[in-house]
Amino acid sequence: MKTAICHHVDFFTSGVCMLNNKVGRVIEAIISETSGIRRKMGLFDKLAGWLGLKKKEVNVLCLGLDNSGKTTIINHLKPTNAQTQDIVPTIGFSIEKFKTSSLSFTVFDMSGQGRYRNLWEHYYKEGQAIIFVVDSGDKLRMVVAKEELDTLLNHPDIKHRRIPLLFFANKMDVRDALSSVKVSQLLCLENIKDKPWHICASDAVKGEGLQEGVDWLQDQIRTMKT
Amino acid sequence: MSSAPEMKGNAEINNSKWLDAHYDPVANLYTFSSCIALADLHGDGENKLVVGDLGTGSCNMKLKVYRGTGLMSENTLLDLPTGLVAFLMDQHEPRTPAIAVASGPFIYVYKNLRPYFKFTLPPLDVNALEQDVWNQAREDMIDPLSLKEMLDGIRDKADIPLSVRSLRFLMLDPQDMEAFVNLYKEQPIRRQTVITCISTLKKNMADEDAVSCLVIGTESKDVYILDPEAFTILSKMSLPSAPTQMDVTGQFDVEFRITVACRNGNIYILRRDSQKPKYCIELSSHPVGLVRIGKNVVVGCAQETLQGFTQKGKKLWTVCLPAPVTTMGVMDLPTRGFQAVLVGLANCEVHLYRDKNLVSTIKTPDVVTSICFGRYGREDGTLIMTTKGGGLIVKILKRTAVIDDKDAAPGPPLAQSIRLNVPKKTKLYVDQTMRERENAVAMHRAFQMDLSRLRLAAARAYVKALESSLTPMSSSLSEPLKMNAVVQGLGPSFKLTLNIQNTAACRPVMNLAISFLYDESLYSMRTAFFKIPLLVPGLNYPIDTFVECLSDKGISDIIKVFVLREGKSAPLLTAHINMPVSEGLPLN
Repeated sequence: MKTAICHHVDFFTSGVCMLNNKVGRVIEAIISETSGIRRKMGLFDKLAGWLGLKKKEVNVLCLGLDNSGKTTIINHLKPTNAQTQDIVPTIGFSIEKFKTSSLSFTVFDMSGQGRYRNLWEHYYKEGQAIIFVVDSGDKLRMVVAKEELDTLLNHPDIKHRRIPLLFFANKMDVRDALSSVKVSQLLCLENIKDKPWHICASDAVKGEGLQEGVDWLQDQIRTMKT
Repeated sequence: MSSAPEMKGNAEINNSKWLDAHYDPVANLYTFSSCIALADLHGDGENKLVVGDLGTGSCNMKLKVYRGTGLMSENTLLDLPTGLVAFLMDQHEPRTPAIAVASGPFIYVYKNLRPYFKFTLPPLDVNALEQDVWNQAREDMIDPLSLKEMLDGIRDKADIPLSVRSLRFLMLDPQDMEAFVNLYKEQPIRRQTVITCISTLKKNMADEDAVSCLVIGTESKDVYILDPEAFTILSKMSLPSAPTQMDVTGQFDVEFRITVACRNGNIYILRRDSQKPKYCIELSSHPVGLVRIGKNVVVGCAQETLQGFTQKGKKLWTVCLPAPVTTMGVMDLPTRGFQAVLVGLANCEVHLYRDKNLVSTIKTPDVVTSICFGRYGREDGTLIMTTKGGGLIVKILKRTAVIDDKDAAPGPPLAQSIRLNVPKKTKLYVDQTMRERENAVAMHRAFQMDLSRLRLAAARAYVKALESSLTPMSSSLSEPLKMNAVVQGLGPSFKLTLNIQNTAACRPVMNLAISFLYDESLYSMRTAFFKIPLLVPGLNYPIDTFVECLSDKGISDIIKVFVLREGKSAPLLTAHINMPVSEGLPLN
């Protein structure tokens, strides 16, 4: 349904120098439009939901620094026929969809580049779960990832909500990459007390470790809903 | 990474603008800002740190490349590096920059971290007389001693200095001369200079990834511009003194400026189409660091000052620094349109100046000897510093960091410059002012008279108190005493503690007694008079006694305490104790 409005938002390509508040306004417009459509879901959809024909929809935010592998992970989770071969740096964000056994995920794949990171917070309200991707080979920028994570966790739209956080310590195949334990230490994940979180090492190019994470996320969302 | 947590606590207090990405106190990196560069050496979008390591100064000179937090490669350098730059030398794909390391009279150019080309400075003219003398020596026409004499003579009056060989020869002991002459006489004399500084200049495009020429300053007071591909000399300019630091801007084919700090303490500005400096800045002390911000030149001087100049050499401002400058760097964030000067100081601080305003201070664990700011890895705002002890510090500017232009240096507060909203002068105010102006003398006299009276009254009261010993302090020479009293209890029984101290230096006080005066209808005391033991100087004597309040009407009175001396009717000390109201009831 949302794909009809903006499957890939490319007005951001020209929006590099776009004023911050301007971007914000555009996003608000999109958000209000999407929620409007959801209200119009109507009786048929509800009926389908009761009959178990339709899977529950969840909005997931995929966050992380640039070059951490967010798009590659999402691409790997999509059905094989919808996957793309070449991954390019995301500009602004893109919306992707994939299904698991019981849920239908709508993923906001946000760009991790420094100049687009201020867009993230506009989507916090929408997200029912967060996937945070970390490049475990980039020791230098682990502090930057931690900084962005702390900013995320202290945001008013996130702080008091018990939403599940799934961390991917990506690029585990890289030589001298940090282990997922080390990554969780460096990001001080043990300090997250009020939200369920899970970290798994992954290799998004080969797809290793992704299913484990998604299964955990699915369980969490299901326990939350019931 | 190991020491990152220790640093963190510190940094949170000092500076929340920077993230401590990496600190290795034993990285074994000894270098200066001129020998450090950031470049995407492999064309993979990830910038590496290239360092010309000076080692111990005599050995272990290395060309080191860092990727992230780790050392990626090491090449041994033959001699001390004096400068290092990364530059694009051609248009070939992939567009990976080459590294030029200046050392001695050579520039070693590396491509893909492999030696690619070695440029040698052109030899200098040899003194004709010196050449002549050595020719004679070659034909054995003169013996080493007369050779030495002749070279000495040439050295004293020649315009062109002697070659290194001749200078070396002049230093030798007489017995070594013969062998030295025999060894070298067949070889032609060469006079070689060395490179003192190196920089780059875009050839004909201003783009970030445009081909650049090398610009070198030499000990022979020349500046050369080299072709990026063929390494031929495109232009040569002369200076009045040997250059030490350089800043180059513009494009070779269009217009450029070379700002050179020289060993004579002056800064010269060279331009295209001029062999000689166009402008000259004469500094009061030697330049230590030179940085260009936009069209202005910022110079750190040996006299602990930072000075700003226009590109035409007009002085704009001077700032005094708290410590000597060790190194300087430019902080350029084009995405935020921010430019500032980083100044490393000998007091383990790095100051960030925007124009003359100190906008931020970074505390470092050691004295910083080199500063480099730019894109490292994939992070744009990275600050790389190496320390005197060989440490490597990497800090990343926070995405949300706000660097305001306000001066962080202590000075008059901002409120001082806000104009107060002073109301208009009223008629009353004007009248009063007129009256004050007319009767100034009389008013002053009246005030002085009253002031004197007040002082007199105060003095009289004081004298009276002293004479009747009404004070709790006795300043008489024979019995200097101090007393204070404490009342404890809620009533009707109170405990009265008198602390008496002899304040004399060494003389004890004897034969003292204490007497109480009180309203006998209100209070009763077990003993209203007792003797005080000998008072040793300096010790505090607490004397306790008990007071019973007889009234249950909730009234209180004063109890007077007198310290008396035997045989004297006037008390030494008097204390008035304001008794508290009795709040309890008698037990019986």
